[in-house]
Amino acid sequence: MAKIVVLGAGIAGHVAASHLRRKLPKEHEVVVVSPNSNYQWIPSNIWVGIGRMKPRDLIFPLAPLYAKKHIDYKQAKAISFYPEGDNDEQKPYVLAEYVTGDEKGKQEKVTYDYLINATGPKLNFEGTEGLSPGKNKAHSVCTYTHAQEAWVALEEVIKQMKQGKKVKILIGTGHAKATCQGAAFEYILNVEQELRRHKVRDMAEITWISNEYQLGDFGMDGMLLSYGSNIMKSNEMVEMVFEDRGIHWILGAGVNKVEDGLAHYETLDGEYKQESYDFAMLIPSFSGHGFKAYDKNGGDITEKLFKGFMIVDADYTPKPYEEWTVQDWPETYQNPSYANIFAPGIAFAPPHGISKPRKSKNGTDITPAPPRTGMPSGITAKLVADNIIEMIKNPNHELHHKGSMGNMGAACIASAGFGMTKGSGISITTYPIVPDFKKYPDTHGRKLGKTFGSIGLAGHWLKLALHYAFIYKAKMKPFWWLIPE
Amino acid sequence: MTRRISKYKRFMMMNPIVQFFKFIFLSLKVLVIVAGGHGGTRKA
Repeated sequence: MAKIVVLGAGIAGHVAASHLRRKLPKEHEVVVVSPNSNYQWIPSNIWVGIGRMKPRDLIFPLAPLYAKKHIDYKQAKAISFYPEGDNDEQKPYVLAEYVTGDEKGKQEKVTYDYLINATGPKLNFEGTEGLSPGKNKAHSVCTYTHAQEAWVALEEVIKQMKQGKKVKILIGTGHAKATCQGAAFEYILNVEQELRRHKVRDMAEITWISNEYQLGDFGMDGMLLSYGSNIMKSNEMVEMVFEDRGIHWILGAGVNKVEDGLAHYETLDGEYKQESYDFAMLIPSFSGHGFKAYDKNGGDITEKLFKGFMIVDADYTPKPYEEWTVQDWPETYQNPSYANIFAPGIAFAPPHGISKPRKSKNGTDITPAPPRTGMPSGITAKLVADNIIEMIKNPNHELHHKGSMGNMGAACIASAGFGMTKGSGISITTYPIVPDFKKYPDTHGRKLGKTFGSIGLAGHWLKLALHYAFIYKAKMKPFWWLIPE
Repeated sequence: MTRRISKYKRFMMMNPIVQFFKFIFLSLKVLVIVAGGHGGTRKA
């Protein structure tokens, strides 16, 4: 009998736990440890942020589902890792602290045979002075509660516009090394469309601010993609959309301080500038959770497990951009020091960025961090679950299930406006996620047929269809496993 | 120079009949990319 502990119940954690439970006989234990009481379908947060969905449309409580599916659930947060156990506990364990109910504050040694760290990122608002959701007129859509708060503030701004006030709206990244430009991109287009729906578009000046060197970089070094019968760069496509929507842009901007209605940023040229706003949505940088790890005797072994995020089978040797290869990226997400620990989704430490690193003239790094969206999170979580199942059956088994982001496609269906007849979406697929310049030297590291873009109403329908399909899948309703990650 | 979305393109982007077929096409295309699989890179 094996005990598998999954830390986190986001996309990666929930996918891993649900596949393990479905495929493993009941004598094996699957335990989920998460401080969150609800599952949330994060890609739909942007619709909460424009008031077109309620949080209840994209969340559901985890406890009843896990109880029904025989998955043990502890609403607790991981504190520290003991991969060798300690003097009192022979088995490896994670020290977790309950966050709610009568047990709140109580710590427990959660022992395991296999550990999946799917704790995702810490939203590092502290990394930018003055950036905090709801403070200084700046908001976030990173969680459904943040998105709900953003909508309350945006609704108030819309009311002011209806009374004749001209406003400035600033949306983008709130740190020089932030990632997740895609979410901000969706949000700015949705906000723009909502202003048109409320007939106040002419009262707002909308500006995109980003640490990207070019529009459409998305932390993936941009793309060369097929668009209808044309071949164009992703920056040309996004520029076309922003021009069409009357959105201004500021690029190569590392936001370093936010004051009431004022964002301070440094440019790649080394200039320090400011941008005023009445409403802002700025994505913070992501960081690891600052977990500590200890050996059997209590010695600090954090550097064996963490490098900000968790260390896996990547090549972390520092090297210049020109020498980066897809082989640097992990394949199995297994920790090299402890073979029973894995980190799929956003929890693993990437070997380096994907976008070309750039510094300002003052030496500040202003480069998007590599994104790891829902689709690769789900795929990597499933392959980790499959490898653990094989290890349980045969502990000396070589890991057969592999999924490097350098040999994996991804679809990003970006909403550009909500509505069954007025909505729009920008569908972008890319293969591979991490460009392989050796395999595809003439097409910026990607396969053209599988890297394409499309704009239109169908994109909105597709995003909406995926919303319902993935919530159905997450609720583990009949035949849920037929829906791919 | 920035490309612009023409009136004809906009009509095609928002026409429900055209977009219905586009929806089917996109769904299949995304499915093919997802189902196309994934793997390692080091032994390739």
